[in-house]
Amino acid sequence: MSIADSKTQKYDRQLRLWHAHGQAALERSKVCLLNGSGVGTEIVKNLILPGIGSLVVVDSAIVSDSDLGENFFVTPAHVGQPRAKAVSDLLLELNGDVHGDYLQEDPEAMIERSPEFFKQFTLVIATQISGKSLRRLADICWEQDVALIIVQAHGLVGYARIQVREHTIVESHPEQIVDLRFDSPFPALAAFADSFDLDAMDSLAHSHMPYIILLLKALNTWKQSHNAALPSNRDEREEFKQLVRTQERKEPGVENLNFEEALASAYRAWTPTTIPSSIQSILDDTRAAENLTPDTPDFWIIARAVRDFVANEGHGLLPLPGTVPDMHSDTESYVNLQTIYRTKARQDAAAVAARVTELVALAGRAERPIALDEIDRFCKNAAFVKVLRYRSFAEESDPRTAEAKTIGNALASDPRDNAAWYVALRAGEECKEHLGRWPGEPDSTSGHEVDVESDAAVLRDAIATYLAARGLPTDAVSNDHVVEFVRAAGANLHVTAALLGGVVSQEAIKLLTRQYVPIDNTVVFDGVRSVASVYRL
Amino acid sequence: MAPSINSQQRWRGVYRYLERTGPFANEGFEPGEKVKDFLHTIKVLVVGAGGLGCELLKDLALTGFTDIHVIDMDTIDISNLNRQFLFRAADLGKPKAEVAADFVMKRVPGCKITPYFGKIQDKDEEYYSQFTIIICGLDSVEARRWMNATVINMYDEDDPETLKPIIDGGTEGFKGQSRIILPHFTACYECSLDMQTKPTTYPMCTIANTPRLPEHCIEWASVLEWPRTFPDKKLDGDDPEHIKWLLDQASARARQYDITGVTYSLTQGVVKNIIPAIASTNAIVAASCATEAFKIATNCATYMSNYMMYVGEQGVYTYTFELQKKDDCPVCGAVAIKIDVPANSTLQDLIDLLMERKDIRLKAPSLRTGSGSLYMQAPRALRDATAPNLVKPLRELLEDGGEITVTDQALPISMNVTVRFSD
Repeated sequence: MSIADSKTQKYDRQLRLWHAHGQAALERSKVCLLNGSGVGTEIVKNLILPGIGSLVVVDSAIVSDSDLGENFFVTPAHVGQPRAKAVSDLLLELNGDVHGDYLQEDPEAMIERSPEFFKQFTLVIATQISGKSLRRLADICWEQDVALIIVQAHGLVGYARIQVREHTIVESHPEQIVDLRFDSPFPALAAFADSFDLDAMDSLAHSHMPYIILLLKALNTWKQSHNAALPSNRDEREEFKQLVRTQERKEPGVENLNFEEALASAYRAWTPTTIPSSIQSILDDTRAAENLTPDTPDFWIIARAVRDFVANEGHGLLPLPGTVPDMHSDTESYVNLQTIYRTKARQDAAAVAARVTELVALAGRAERPIALDEIDRFCKNAAFVKVLRYRSFAEESDPRTAEAKTIGNALASDPRDNAAWYVALRAGEECKEHLGRWPGEPDSTSGHEVDVESDAAVLRDAIATYLAARGLPTDAVSNDHVVEFVRAAGANLHVTAALLGGVVSQEAIKLLTRQYVPIDNTVVFDGVRSVASVYRL
Repeated sequence: MAPSINSQQRWRGVYRYLERTGPFANEGFEPGEKVKDFLHTIKVLVVGAGGLGCELLKDLALTGFTDIHVIDMDTIDISNLNRQFLFRAADLGKPKAEVAADFVMKRVPGCKITPYFGKIQDKDEEYYSQFTIIICGLDSVEARRWMNATVINMYDEDDPETLKPIIDGGTEGFKGQSRIILPHFTACYECSLDMQTKPTTYPMCTIANTPRLPEHCIEWASVLEWPRTFPDKKLDGDDPEHIKWLLDQASARARQYDITGVTYSLTQGVVKNIIPAIASTNAIVAASCATEAFKIATNCATYMSNYMMYVGEQGVYTYTFELQKKDDCPVCGAVAIKIDVPANSTLQDLIDLLMERKDIRLKAPSLRTGSGSLYMQAPRALRDATAPNLVKPLRELLEDGGEITVTDQALPISMNVTVRFSD
């Protein structure tokens, strides 16, 4: 409870989102940026500021005048000098807590020659890389189990794609965690509800009875006359509410806020406490069930412990989170309720922790125990943990395994859907491989004017080929999109770089802190309509 | 000395959009030199040099705007450094507007940024009318209402130059929003005031008698105990000694009631109503605002219509939709707002309603009719003279359907209200 130190003060506004353990995870991360492009520097700027562990920039470009209009991390004095050094100097100056380095190397050559280089990183961010090199990089990261985010800016359109084999999340930060066990009160809770006699109370105490007690009592009465069953249809539910209302006292000048809350929360009383199917499938997952090894991640060991807890001490239910939402109440009743739920939650967590200790020994890593905090967090969030298994970029790129229907359906339902930009980008990259430039882009070597019409025809053909290979109608992308794409001609706009910089850094933070839920797996942003769309490709 | 920069190369990306038209260009877009010159010469205003303001200055400078003004009344605090990337530890205590302007001008030669360290209310219509576009990165509802009403009030339909588009952004944690306001053509900030969630407040009886949460104990310390103990000292949420005092008081109360969870961080959060903030979300929202500024300045693409919400907590989700203009908007509407009240409710009841209604939300309204003052907050003599009206039933003061003019410190303009008796 001391006055915060300067680091805590500096990070105060983000610690309120991901707390000290999220910050520690961020500070352990090692990030690699391929190409110090405008979009690349905007992304890592937003990662250096909150304090990632370290950054390495790989770039062989020399700073030119065109960088000055796109990239905030170069100055006119840097023109003619290596961009890797220029941007890493100006980026690292943002936060003294972040270590950094640069490699003045061609990223494509690194991908080709030194695949093992990428193994050291937590996250690789690839900008301005396409075609064969990109596919190779994605394969390398997939094999080495390194998270990869692919980013592409094109005019007012932005694209990003995450590839991770498996991403587990304990704290997905749902809006609220409420698990009050009305249908199956544990003994301490049932006894507490029984200890009150609503009829014998004075009006002050009666008007301050927390709604949890009101509902528990009403449900108890209900069950006695309904063979212990919960109200299960509309009529019964209305009847149950009526039962709650019969306890209300209509006295002039007395506001029955607690009864209003009870009626508003009555659905919680008749909703059976169950294990959500998404959680059941995590508990049933082979990674939780299979033989544990010293390399089994903490998440799966705890998941296994929770599975065993459910089958034994938990009597079919998840560990109790133990939080009580605020409600109209006198202090004592509320604090007592809090204590009762919290005590049960601690007992559940202790039971899970005991199982974790056994499993850790079984896994052959007794010398590396799992911290109790981590187990507590899992138990508290047990109904909201998540496992994301991404599709690889290779699966997406191969027409035989591509999720073509996702794109086809999106375009069929709305021709202006952002899927049109996705297809244009993919086909545009194909054109770029042949033409050596984006369709519509002036030829930097010859300096000739571009023939916009013929470039549009080239792109239109590439799009048709791309769609046909995936069994989609060849005219699924509108001519307007083709023409506008050629107009943009690979333009790097700082506003798009900055926007993607924000979007991608949010996703990176979610991956690195293992909190909140990153996209699975592609986001396309249209800066004309200001709309983002997410696809699983 | 900096070498000369090839501007055709430097603005390559931007010019690609300005040298050719396309199917998504806005009506009236004319590619060519004229639109480039316009972009490079118009004056734009950035209101706020905080999380959004720092991003906006960078984004606008690197889009080719060269005459940018920025206004901000704050100085730099250590908790700004995790996102307000134009500031360093050595700048603590200095004016944000000045440090931000200097930084961007040094980094982006050719861009002139004129800072003003002070309040938006220090400036008048003459000041605001020099700008072509006004972009707001503010952190309070009050400041937004003031800017909105001021700019909308400047519009004269006989003079198109007086139409000043406002672009407004805001963030909270992983969420943010941006919007465009074209005065009198689209919904204004006041039209959608009821979308704003009111800051969390706790009932006084809970704070005083039945605390349940650590927040209730902190509110007790700051709202009741502080003024009782230090009647002449204003509570300063940035003064660690003040926060420490509150923390000690709140902790003692929490112990007394067996409440857990009072911490330094929570105490400061409650007292200052702190909203979590990160660089990423500021980048998204500011870039969206700057993109719209680029489109409005050049017409190179159609504008966003007209509100975007970005939510990044669970995946990525945007909701972009057209906010509707309200005919009876007190700021931009053509007709007076109507209020229905029983004829024997008092003038005080009416004032309470004006303060509580989500779409009006006044702070300390003064009311008058065509024939005289009903209740005036100031000057004191007038307040004392009109105070007896507060307890009078409305039927003694007004006709059914009568119009009153309301002024308030929350709004720089007056609003007309038609009072109808509901019985």
